[in-house]
Amino acid sequence: MSDGGSVVEGFADYVDGETAIIHRVALRLSPDRLTLIQPDGGSEDWVADDLREVPDQADPSMLVLSRAGNPVARLYVTDGEISKLLRRNAPALHRRPPIENKPRIAAWGLGAVASVALIIFVLVPVMANQLAEFLPPEGEKALGDATFEQIRTALGREDFLPVETCEDPAGLAALAKMEARLGAAQDLPYPVTVTVLDHELVNAFALPGGRIVIFRGLLEMAASPEEVAAVLAHELGHVVHRDPTRDALRLAGSIGVLGLVFGDFAGGTVVLLLANELINAQYSQAAETGADDYAHALLTEAGLPPSALGTFFARLKDEYGDAEGIYAHFSTHPQMTARIEAALEAQTQAERAGELKDPVLTPAEWADLRAICGPSKPEPDPKIPGNSKGEPSRLGRG
Amino acid sequence: MALRDLTTDYAGRGAPMFRLALKTGALTVLTLGFYRFWMKARIRRYYWSAIRPGGHPLEFVGRPTEMLTGFLTAVVFLAFYIGVVNLILMFFSFSVFKGEAPAYLLSFIGLVPMFFFAHYRARRYILARTRWRGIRFALEPGVKGYVWRATLWWLATILSVGILWPVKTFELEKYRTDRTWFGDQKFEQTGGRWSLMGAMKHVYLAAALILCGIIAATALDEPVWLAASAMGAIWAVLGLAYWKAESFKRLTEGKVLGDAGLRSHPRGGRVLGVYLLGGLAISALLTALLIGLAVGLGLVFALVDPAMIEAGFKDLGDLANLPAWVATLFALAAYFAMFLFWGVLREVFITMPIARHFAETTEVVNPDALNAIRQRPRDEFAEAEGFADALPLGDGI
Ligand SMILES: [Zn+2]
Repeated sequence: MSDGGSVVEGFADYVDGETAIIHRVALRLSPDRLTLIQPDGGSEDWVADDLREVPDQADPSMLVLSRAGNPVARLYVTDGEISKLLRRNAPALHRRPPIENKPRIAAWGLGAVASVALIIFVLVPVMANQLAEFLPPEGEKALGDATFEQIRTALGREDFLPVETCEDPAGLAALAKMEARLGAAQDLPYPVTVTVLDHELVNAFALPGGRIVIFRGLLEMAASPEEVAAVLAHELGHVVHRDPTRDALRLAGSIGVLGLVFGDFAGGTVVLLLANELINAQYSQAAETGADDYAHALLTEAGLPPSALGTFFARLKDEYGDAEGIYAHFSTHPQMTARIEAALEAQTQAERAGELKDPVLTPAEWADLRAICGPSKPEPDPKIPGNSKGEPSRLGRG
Repeated sequence: MALRDLTTDYAGRGAPMFRLALKTGALTVLTLGFYRFWMKARIRRYYWSAIRPGGHPLEFVGRPTEMLTGFLTAVVFLAFYIGVVNLILMFFSFSVFKGEAPAYLLSFIGLVPMFFFAHYRARRYILARTRWRGIRFALEPGVKGYVWRATLWWLATILSVGILWPVKTFELEKYRTDRTWFGDQKFEQTGGRWSLMGAMKHVYLAAALILCGIIAATALDEPVWLAASAMGAIWAVLGLAYWKAESFKRLTEGKVLGDAGLRSHPRGGRVLGVYLLGGLAISALLTALLIGLAVGLGLVFALVDPAMIEAGFKDLGDLANLPAWVATLFALAAYFAMFLFWGVLREVFITMPIARHFAETTEVVNPDALNAIRQRPRDEFAEAEGFADALPLGDGI
């Protein structure tokens, strides 16, 4: 390691890892080895290939050496020339020790991932399903109220204000008439609260405790009041089957676990958000079919056409295709076609039984309902000031 | 007296620490947090090696892979606890109390002993992987006793509105120190239970002054007395800096290692100065960074759509009209940059200068006695500091 085959001499501090005594040793650096000579004359050879630098040292003027195979002995070299030669010529100064028991680490990793997945995707959902059955109505209501405020805030726009609820009196009256016609609360231990949010999203969802939320975008998209009634009936189906309650409990269990796995460092924050979206996204196909079936029966009972659910789905499909949109669970493709057909089937049955009666709202009431968020304002272009051809965007950020 | 006392050099420098923290921090962000064990190991190696009593650096020999496996172990335990227990607590909270607050409270209370547990185990791991002069430190197993003592002392501290804080600090430090070893020699924490009370005297007086000001202002209906409270608040800040330095001095000088001991003379004023100047430097640099990001955003716009720049941003309200994805992207980049730089600058301007001051003002008394100390066997401690990594323990080193 010394240049040109010569021998370089110097001194260094040495600890042997057996006692805390600092030994001042003489160093002899020859081309292939570093020799440590103790004050009592004993010597020890460290061959070039065994020399390792202890990494990430704060003091650049000190070279801390260890010897491969000896985890505790250290040599503290402050001699400038010897350090320089060692840094330049020692062949394996920065070789890292091999990672021990890789298979064990891999096994631990897999085990941990599997356990966490088991907890999130099996244990917590199963428990949530069981517990949802036992949650008393007041508890469900409290859960729904808490979730509602969170969602309003989450949907808020750039100004970070929660989304407004729509409360035009005539519109509310029309909505109340629709609820009454459906006999909304007959299967439920608590009153149903339907709220319209002033947001362009084409969506509606149910929360625990009989709270149903419809977005303005959905009212604008619907061709008839029957379609709105059909969506309402579908959401009532979710409420009756306690789907939102299960979901909220499941979320309560999973969020903490995910936060744990990814830590609070920035990278984790994003994964956490994504994972939440994923968990939160959709009810199961079975839950959707169940809610559809409930809606068909409820609509038929109320003398309203079950096909309205089908026509609404068909319009969604025409508008956005079978591809996914943010309009959440209505589009649980690829079943969409099947769901439309089921609605038409229910329609045929209802017609055969002669159960269809008056429209759910008069044209004037329907107009009131669509104006529940105030007179329909011309959409302000959300993008560039002064640009005239911007299209009104229906699918906002959810 | 054979040898003079060993003074401590401090070799840490701002620029290398900045590079190391930035590099490892960026990798941590890019790997969604999983590089953090490597980041932790490297930054610790740097910090440990900077402290050089008698010119010989401390060494941290913990391996990132063992921290990772320890973390994975802890995650499985905690995932079960947090998933299942949170769910059940949520259920009871909503069904019995009709609200979520009790659930969060109970869930938190349930986690408190876990925090103490994690704290002691992390200390055990860190000491087991710390060496000086080639000799290992160690902390004896004893987490059970620590958890119940910590719970009781914290309870006593809360019930005494904080007055017993110094007693709690001393008792817990004594429990840990009395189980700490350097090689085959055990440490002992001397000094009595009440020995830290004096270090808190300025904070007590300041608190009394604040309280008197408020009482006088309310009772006499003369808001001018609030001036006394304001003075008290300033005094309290100074008092906290004094506490930080003085409690360190008293605890350090109370530690005995056989015939060897420690002497320390840190200054509260210096501690305060580091926090004030460091805080100032960090806020200035972060502001500059934010402005830099905004300018960068402007440049991007100039490239994408020059017309928009020509129109000019009349006021901040126009910013709301930016396309959503640009705003999102900018917010995300700004968030990560701020998060990363906040962490890096904190190491450079706060953590390191504080460590430097405490290190440079601490000496080893009667170092001769150290020569009799022999090595101890390695503490294979597979769990590492997994629980402390998994729980948000506040980021001590
Ligand atoms: Zn649905």
